[in-house]
Amino acid sequence: MTLDTQMTSRSLWRERVSSYTRRIKDFWTIYKKSRMGMVGVSLVLGFIIIAFVAPWFAPYHPRALVGTPFLPPTNEHLLGTDQVGRDIYSELLWGTRVSLMVGLLASAFAVAIGTAIGLLSGYYRGLLDSVLMRITDLFITLPVLPFILILAALLGRNIGNIIVVIAITGWTGTARMVRSQTLSIKERPYVEAARSIGARDSHVMIRHILPNVFPLVFANAIIGIVDAILAESGLSFLGLGDPSQPSWGMILHYANEAGALATGRWWFIIPPGICIMLVTIGFAFSSYSLDQILNPRLRKRRW
Amino acid sequence: MGFKEYVGKRVLQGIITVMLAITLNFIIFRIMPGDPTQAMVGDPRMKPETRIALIAKFGLDKPLLEQFVLYLYNLFSGELGVSFVEIGRPVVEIIFGRKLVNTLILMGSSMFLAFALGIIAGVIAAWKHGTKVDMSSIVFSLVTYSMPVFWFGMLLLLVFSYYISVFPIAGTVTPGVVHANFFEYASDLLYHMIAPMITLAVSFFGGYFLFMRDTILDVFTEDYMLTARAKGLSNRKILFKHAMRNALLPMVSLMGVHLTFLISGATMTETVFSWDGLGRLIYDSVRDADYPVLQGIFLMMAILVVTASLCADITCAYLDPRIKEATE
Amino acid sequence: MPILEVRDLSTHYFTLQGPVEAVDGVSFTVDAGQTFGLAGESGCGKTTVALSIMGLLPSNGRVMGGQIILDGEDLVKKGESELKKVRWKKISMVFQGAMNALNPVINVGEQIAEVILEKEGLKKPEAWKRVRELYELVELQTVRVKDFPHEFSGGMRQRVMIAMALACYPKLVISDEPITALDVIVQNQILNLMKNLQKKLNLSQILITHDLSVIAETSDKVGIMYAGKLVEYADATSIFKRPLHPYTTALIGAYPSIVGEKRTLNFIPGAPPNLISPPKGCRFHPRCPYAKNICGKEQPEYLEKEAEHFVACHFVDELRTIPSLEGR
Repeated sequence: MTLDTQMTSRSLWRERVSSYTRRIKDFWTIYKKSRMGMVGVSLVLGFIIIAFVAPWFAPYHPRALVGTPFLPPTNEHLLGTDQVGRDIYSELLWGTRVSLMVGLLASAFAVAIGTAIGLLSGYYRGLLDSVLMRITDLFITLPVLPFILILAALLGRNIGNIIVVIAITGWTGTARMVRSQTLSIKERPYVEAARSIGARDSHVMIRHILPNVFPLVFANAIIGIVDAILAESGLSFLGLGDPSQPSWGMILHYANEAGALATGRWWFIIPPGICIMLVTIGFAFSSYSLDQILNPRLRKRRW
Repeated sequence: MGFKEYVGKRVLQGIITVMLAITLNFIIFRIMPGDPTQAMVGDPRMKPETRIALIAKFGLDKPLLEQFVLYLYNLFSGELGVSFVEIGRPVVEIIFGRKLVNTLILMGSSMFLAFALGIIAGVIAAWKHGTKVDMSSIVFSLVTYSMPVFWFGMLLLLVFSYYISVFPIAGTVTPGVVHANFFEYASDLLYHMIAPMITLAVSFFGGYFLFMRDTILDVFTEDYMLTARAKGLSNRKILFKHAMRNALLPMVSLMGVHLTFLISGATMTETVFSWDGLGRLIYDSVRDADYPVLQGIFLMMAILVVTASLCADITCAYLDPRIKEATE
Repeated sequence: MPILEVRDLSTHYFTLQGPVEAVDGVSFTVDAGQTFGLAGESGCGKTTVALSIMGLLPSNGRVMGGQIILDGEDLVKKGESELKKVRWKKISMVFQGAMNALNPVINVGEQIAEVILEKEGLKKPEAWKRVRELYELVELQTVRVKDFPHEFSGGMRQRVMIAMALACYPKLVISDEPITALDVIVQNQILNLMKNLQKKLNLSQILITHDLSVIAETSDKVGIMYAGKLVEYADATSIFKRPLHPYTTALIGAYPSIVGEKRTLNFIPGAPPNLISPPKGCRFHPRCPYAKNICGKEQPEYLEKEAEHFVACHFVDELRTIPSLEGR
């Protein structure tokens, strides 16, 4: 490259970056106005912080047996102990990492798979489309829970498998949405123009279609995090979680198995559930506000 | 395309999907690490004679392709293998019995409740969008959506069963009681069903509510809604006749797909409340590694979901006059 | 004898970018059995005038001032429930693009019958009898009363809309671009139909359109709107033979004539202004070929320059000397 072209492409790059930052700043000004959105974001940020600082704030190691089992809340054990004598408060703090990790990773994978399939399906159409759509239909009508249970039972109980399993069962919604968006965007004049001057398919898909699909997908991804976290806690509750991880769902599983309900051991039951709820509410509120902003009903207001 | 062609096409799609599910079922249980016959007979609890008979029946010592054919043959003659846990009892018997009925009753009534409340609330919230009523309903829905089903059940039990004795702690019917007649049985069942039903209904209400509200708001932007307003019709007519009829179409097709979530929800609820249904059966089978039963349930649910989705789509097509081209 | 009097109507829309002054100080009268044609470019506020009269503004629109007198009562002061009584019974509307103005999932006869049932207190068989009579009025086959909107062609749907608008035999019908979305030949048919019906039923009409040729064919009185303001108002003959406002002249000049010499079409350069911040002074001055300094500073007064001929322009008297378009 000559010096000229080097300088131009660098300034173009700078321009693009600054336009992105400007857009993000504008977006944030609007987002700040939504009370629900701010509550959501605060909760999410709060839990992310907890996840990071857990090792310093947790009085005990979550897997260590540090007390007599089934202790109610005391000064030494703020939230009591579980059925083998681990400190529940520490487990809760460390459990944040598990939930967030599973939620973010599983949702990210699911969205990636779904977007890829939807994009390819909608762009190329024809036989590929039919095949991919049949597979999507299959996965939609798959009874999720039994399938997850079976896979988890077969593949073994570890956290990686859980993430994979949740991702495999969760991409269908995104796929459908991306596909229908791709179909409509493909017909737009600028896409036709790009193709007519010989742009490669991958270029068209990545540079033209993907950016337009992104807002819809992003809001969906966040709700996907909610579903993933709920799925993980559900799986753990049913006994398929990873026993080596202090997952909130696992705590509830042990609570159920140990008959905490019948014996009124509320400290075993209520706190983990509240944690799950707060994290998911955080993401749910954020997703809702995001959706309101990114996908507004700009069409004529008749009402 | 005419209605009949549409139905035909959908049914065909459904059959293909079911075939795929059946094949998937077959494959999954044969690729287990170790002895591929594990899934059907590889359990020490099984009697040797039964094992031999099953190996013969399912061709478990034969090549995979032959196995698949035998599998299909057995499937269509209602032979799904034998449970590990209830030694020797055919899987078909276990699944298609009392448990299925219990699950259907619970799932059916909860879904109906959640759906009915959800759509009415959704319509009203959309009508009053932006007001406090609307916003609080949205918050309520998001919160209940975020709540883990099983935890909510546990909470209910903790408060209303342990602390205050309103609901029974577990079970489908009071254990050890012999009922004099059907009515007594039914009321006992219903009494035990209230808590799990509330749990499921509250869990699902949120999703239906939000979707209905969104759909109705979309409908509101249509021209024909302005016409309805211009005609000076009563609010009830505008909302429930003009708006809702159009909004129900996407809702119905959503229902078909939603069934899978209902099944997961039911599983967790049944586990928490010890409700004797298929959901609990799944839980127990996983815990006890009763693979034949699991296979059977998986298959049955796949077929159930495909059928439900099919019915939903066909109902949609029937209700929407644009699709239902006059077969007259 | 006036049916409807609009005095100094002002309507604003409140948007995120600020208030849009969509209608500003518009006044006109509609007499019994007469047609008032309201003309102007897209976005000049004509539809907003119609919506204001019917009370059908969206939630971000509000009538800021003025009166709308129907039967001695001011509609602006009425609440929603009172307005509902007026709608369709005294004033009805024919919308543009009947494709979407009819509810797709309800059959057409039902959409007409429902308003008869609700407003006229007739029983079902009588209501449907009237539906069939209305069908005949608009020259549709009565066997098709139970058909759905998508089963009709565009022109037929417009006839349906007209039939529906006449359902309660209102005094005044507002037609908003009733034929714009149709083929030219169908346009003519519908226009003739409307003229005949008006004579037959002694209806008054407000006809809103951007198409001056339609106005010329149908209207008794004409109002020309620009950027939310009424710039000229007179009977049809005066408007076309002796237009006093530069905008009116330009509009008429933009239409080709099939008689006379060929000439290049005149067009009006520029675009209509942004109504959030309209231009100071006369709103047309940025595009007016005769604009002078004062036009950009002061808004022209709306004065009666000839008998029953109102104009809002600073230079009416000077411009009168410019050759008019006699013989058009």
